[in-house]
Amino acid sequence: MNLKISALEYIQEVQNGNISAEDFVAKTLERIQSIDEKLHAFLSVNDKAVEQARQIDKKIKSGDKVGACFGMPISIKDNMCIKDNKTTCASKMLEDFVAPYDATVISKLKQQDAIFVGKANMDEFAMGLTTEFSAFGPSSNPWNTDYVPGGSSGGSAVSVSAFECVASLGSDTGGSVRNPASFCSVVGYKPTYGLISRYGLISYANSIEQIGPLTRTVKDTAFMLNLISGLDPNDNTTINNQDQDYLLGIDSGIEGKKIGIIKEMLGDGISAEVGSATKDAISKMEGLGAICEEVSLDMVKYSVAAYYTITATEAGSNLARYDNLRYGYDFSVEGYEFNSYISKARQMFGPEVKRRMIIGGFVPSAGQAGRYFLKALKVKSKLTREISETFKKFDLLIAPTVPVLPFKKGEKIDDPVALFQVDINTVTANLTGRPAISVPFAMSNGLPIGMQLIADSNQDKLLLQAAHALEQTVTLPEVPI
Amino acid sequence: MVTSEEIERISKLMKIDVHDHREYVDKVHSMIDFFDVLDSAGVGLEEISMQEISISDLRKDEHIAFDGKLIEKLNHYKGTYVRAPKMSS
Repeated sequence: MNLKISALEYIQEVQNGNISAEDFVAKTLERIQSIDEKLHAFLSVNDKAVEQARQIDKKIKSGDKVGACFGMPISIKDNMCIKDNKTTCASKMLEDFVAPYDATVISKLKQQDAIFVGKANMDEFAMGLTTEFSAFGPSSNPWNTDYVPGGSSGGSAVSVSAFECVASLGSDTGGSVRNPASFCSVVGYKPTYGLISRYGLISYANSIEQIGPLTRTVKDTAFMLNLISGLDPNDNTTINNQDQDYLLGIDSGIEGKKIGIIKEMLGDGISAEVGSATKDAISKMEGLGAICEEVSLDMVKYSVAAYYTITATEAGSNLARYDNLRYGYDFSVEGYEFNSYISKARQMFGPEVKRRMIIGGFVPSAGQAGRYFLKALKVKSKLTREISETFKKFDLLIAPTVPVLPFKKGEKIDDPVALFQVDINTVTANLTGRPAISVPFAMSNGLPIGMQLIADSNQDKLLLQAAHALEQTVTLPEVPI
Repeated sequence: MVTSEEIERISKLMKIDVHDHREYVDKVHSMIDFFDVLDSAGVGLEEISMQEISISDLRKDEHIAFDGKLIEKLNHYKGTYVRAPKMSS
């Protein structure tokens, strides 16, 4: 059986009776068993998946109504709640936490007969961009296992790239879907802020994070978006997308569209290979009839500092709830005074989470807020204004997703500021709430390069059309694992 | 420029043990120093914009019962109360 198919191909095959959900899911689990020791994309695997697929096959055979996923195997980043399943956030703090309810995205996918094959590895509490900060060990890049797969949704990207599932859900706070998508040669999508409910997503930085799909093709992303987007009474930040069909008209092309090339995302620090691939992408977009011109977003220079200041502040607040009384691990309160108990409990956080909590306490504190947090909010506001002005002249923006190629494990882990710089091209979409996508575009020395497109708020459909057009201009190799 | 003593003080308030100075204080120091770039952003007069949601767009303020007893899932639930560590006097 061929596992190397897209989500839409899978659905077509099952509908035509060429394959059964049970066989496909069973083969998928076999593949996970055979290669995941090397890749470590999964933190847990659903041992009921085959039985669940069998039930869907029964529904198909008996002519009952079947959901749009037809038993499609999906992986879920381990910061989204699936009822009665462990949700660890790749943290020792939540090692034994069993979610008492489904996240809205999970309820929606269950209604559409998706099968969750497992929970995907990630940086602890989504704080990182290499998956090296997972408390349970890093994932490996399937293109070269000595290299990082990106993060924080690294396990999600690896599982899609290495054919351990058909699609995945990740979360993107500053590029955590797009960065690993770029490093692993899959499509990664960060929607307009509010398009997908965050109910049941373990909070990191609520004001900018979004759940997003990782898939093999742009059409698959549009399909997933159709299933999981829309208003949710449990998340008041969700927006009404009028049940838009993102697949409809995806072949519309980009002729006549004006595309801005973001100057500040192609400056110092960009690798020669990534720079060359970007020029090629621009030339291909022009070949499709788009008009490409350079544009400047001055605040991009300050975006990374603003991003880390804002996210650390929100994380400091969000993580304060982990006192081991409401959530946590098995650790008795007997004999402890309150403060020493909390200090002891917090030792279960990993080093990067602790560092961000300290920063989150420092930058908004009395005497420091004006210097850091308020300035960061002002940069965010000015950047949002700049990008709004830019979208009066341009339909889309383009830049490489990550300015460098995937790097080796351990290469940057001891240099937090070097890691910060890797985010320079992705945080703008989060700070401004705009939708952005990473499309697999090139290879260099066997390592993938992804190209990023950004659209104005609520222009997700246009963004997917452009991404699909760009995707069609390249043929890329299959993952060598 | 932030000092190591300031970081150590905040860590204590956050109840985070920073006995490994290099791993915590030094790295946090370099991270916060990086944020000093914000000083040159020239945003002193910029207004902070906020996303506003009107009350009419919020869901109804009514109790929705949870399907299942959440309190029983707490680690330290003892049937009628939750056990917590003693508060210092």
